[in-house]
Amino acid sequence: MSTASVVHSVPAIQARSTAATAEPAVVRWALIAVSLGFLGLFLVIPLAAVFAQAFEKGIGLYFQSLVDTDALAAIRLTLLVALVAVPLNTVFGVAAAWAISKFEFVGKNLLITLIDLPFSISPVVSGLVFVLLFGREGWLGAWLAAHNLHVIFAVPGIVIATVFVTFPFVARELIPLMQAQGGEEEEAARLLGASGWQTFWHVTLPNIKWGLLYGIILCNGRAMGEFGAVSVVSGHIRGHTNTMPLHVEILYNEYNVAAAFAVASLLAALALVTLVLKSMLQWKVARQLAQAGELQTSEVSETSEVFREATNSGPARGSRRLT
Amino acid sequence: MSIQVENISKTFGQFVALKDVSLSVATGELVALLGPSGSGKTTLLRIIAGLETPDAGSGPIRFQDEDVAGRGVGARQVGFVFQHYALFRHMTVFQNVAFGLRVRPWRSRPSKAAIHQKVSRLLQLVQLETFANRYPNQLSGGQRQRVALARALAIEPKVLLLDEPFGALDAKVRKELRQWLRRLHDEIHITSVFVTHDQDEALELADRVVVMDRGRIEQVGTPDEVFHSPATEFVTTFLGQVNIFHGRVEDGKVHFATLSWESPEHAEMPSQPVRVFVRPHDFEIETHRNGAPSFRATVFRVHSAGPNARLELVAESGEQLWAEMPLDHYRDRGIGPGSAVFLTPRDVKVFADGESPSE
Repeated sequence: MSTASVVHSVPAIQARSTAATAEPAVVRWALIAVSLGFLGLFLVIPLAAVFAQAFEKGIGLYFQSLVDTDALAAIRLTLLVALVAVPLNTVFGVAAAWAISKFEFVGKNLLITLIDLPFSISPVVSGLVFVLLFGREGWLGAWLAAHNLHVIFAVPGIVIATVFVTFPFVARELIPLMQAQGGEEEEAARLLGASGWQTFWHVTLPNIKWGLLYGIILCNGRAMGEFGAVSVVSGHIRGHTNTMPLHVEILYNEYNVAAAFAVASLLAALALVTLVLKSMLQWKVARQLAQAGELQTSEVSETSEVFREATNSGPARGSRRLT
Repeated sequence: MSIQVENISKTFGQFVALKDVSLSVATGELVALLGPSGSGKTTLLRIIAGLETPDAGSGPIRFQDEDVAGRGVGARQVGFVFQHYALFRHMTVFQNVAFGLRVRPWRSRPSKAAIHQKVSRLLQLVQLETFANRYPNQLSGGQRQRVALARALAIEPKVLLLDEPFGALDAKVRKELRQWLRRLHDEIHITSVFVTHDQDEALELADRVVVMDRGRIEQVGTPDEVFHSPATEFVTTFLGQVNIFHGRVEDGKVHFATLSWESPEHAEMPSQPVRVFVRPHDFEIETHRNGAPSFRATVFRVHSAGPNARLELVAESGEQLWAEMPLDHYRDRGIGPGSAVFLTPRDVKVFADGESPSE
C-alpha cells in the first residue's frame, strides 16, 4: 500500500472538459493507452501473478499453507496489531483534527507538521527509533529489563511501530474536512442546550463519518501491510513475532514460493477489499456533494414561488397572537 | 425579557472589536445593530449569546435583572440564528427543529408526542409544514432561514439573536422575508436583536437602531431619529446617500458652495471650518433664481428610471453632487444634461471637525 495515495485522497469534484481544453483524438487515445498500459504492466499483471503463483501447486496446497501453524500465528498477530493500532489512531486522529480545526493554540503549526512525520521518514528509521528507545542498549532498555518487560522483539514493539507508522491517516483525512465545515453547527448545538458529548455524538460525528471511515480503512490497510518498521523491531521469531508480511518474506527466502504467494494473496485480497471500500466511499461522498449542488441551483427558483404564496397569505394570520 | 450590557470590551489579538460598549434592549423590542463590517456588531451579538467572552474588566450582561455573564452558552436560553443558518445537514427539517428538545436531560425532556406536537406547530408558524422530511440541502435559502428560526424558537428562548439574517439571500427573497419576520415578531413579541450592514433592513424592520462603527456605538434611536437627526458625521454618511461640502460657520451663518445659509442654531458656534451634509432629496431644484438662497450647478447626467429623477451635477464651486426630484417636476422643467439649475437646500447637517453634533 503506497503512502502517496493518502495525501490527495479527499474526493475532488471532477472537472468537466470544455471545448477549449479538448485535445485532438490522437492525443486523447495516446494518453489513455499509456495510462492503461502502465496500469496493466505494473499493477494488474503482478497482482494476477500473485494469485496465479499462489494456486500454482493446486488449491489443496494453497489452503494447507494458510492453515500452517506459523501462518495462522502470523495472521492472528497481524489482526491483533491492527485491532490495537487502528482504534488508537482513530481516537488520536479525531482528537488532533478537532484540536486543529476548532481551536487556536500555541504549537498548532508544529502539530500539523509533526502529524506528517511518519509519512516523510523511512519506515526502517521509524523502527530503529524504537530500538534506540526500548532496545537493550536503548534509553529505557535497562529499566524495562529490570521490570522484565519485553518491547523490542516482542508484540508490544510491533504494535508501537505500527501505531507510529499509521498515525497520520485518520488525522490527515479529517483535518481538511473539519476545517472546511467550521464550527457553526457545533455552536448552534451548544446554544440549543446540547452538552459537549451530545454535540460531538449528534452533530460532529455524523458530519465527518464518511471521512472518518475512509481514514480508518486506509489506516487499517497500512497497519496490516506494514513491513519496514515492523521488520526492524520484530526479531522474526516464527510463531511469535511474525506478522503476515514478515512471514511472506521468510517463506520466500526459504524458496517456499507457493506458500509465500498463498499468504501474499491474502494481503493482496485485503488491499483489493480496501480499494473497493475506498472507491465506494469516495463515490458516496462525491454523490452527496453533487446532489447538494444540484438541489441548490435548481430548487431556488421553484421554492421561492412556493414562498411567495406562503407570504401572500401572511397578513390574514396577523390577528392571531401567540403570547 | 430585557437585555442590558455594560462597558463591554473585546479585543482579538491586536484588533479592538468592541470598546466600552453599553446597550439596553427593552422587553419585546426588535433592535437592529447596524454598521459596516468590522464595526463590532456581530461580536456584540455573540457576546450576548455567550459565544464569545468579553475582555476582563467588562461589565455585566443582564437578562432581565440577572447577570448571565458567568453562564455557559447552553444555560442562557438564547435563540440564535446564524448568517449561514448552521442547520444540521444530516438531519431533516423536523429533526433540526426538535434537536433542542431532544438533547434535554430526560427529567425535563418532553414526551415524544409533545415534541412532535411542538415541532409541528413551529413548522406551521414558519410555513414549512410540508417540508418536515426534507434535508437542508433540499431547501432554498429562504426556507433554510425559516428552519433556523423555528429551531431557535423551539427551546422557548428568552431572547432571539439573529446574525445577518438575510445576508445570504437574494434581493427579492430578502425583502419578502424581512416583512414576514416583522409580522412574526409582532405575533410572538420576543425580545430580539439582529445584526445587519444593510441600512434599509435596519430602518424598515427595527423598533430601534443601534449604529456602530469601529467598536463603538455611534447612536441609538428609532429609525426616524437616526435617519433624520443623525448624531454624528458617521451616522449621517452611513445612513443614506449624502453630499459633503467643506464650508465655514461664521456669526450664525454657514458658508458653503457659494451660499450663505442663515442658521440661527449655529449662532453659538465659534467661527471655524465645518463639513456640511445635504441629502440628495433635500434640494429644491429650480431653473431660475426665485429669491431663495441658492447656488448654481450644471447637470451632467440624469437617471430617470424610478419614481425620482436622480441628477448628477457639478456645483459652481466645483463639488460633484447628487440631487433628486420627483419625476414629473423633472419633466415639467425640461431639465437635461447641460442645463444650469439652482439648488436650494431644505435641510443641512453641520459638523465641526471633531464630530461635535449640531444642526
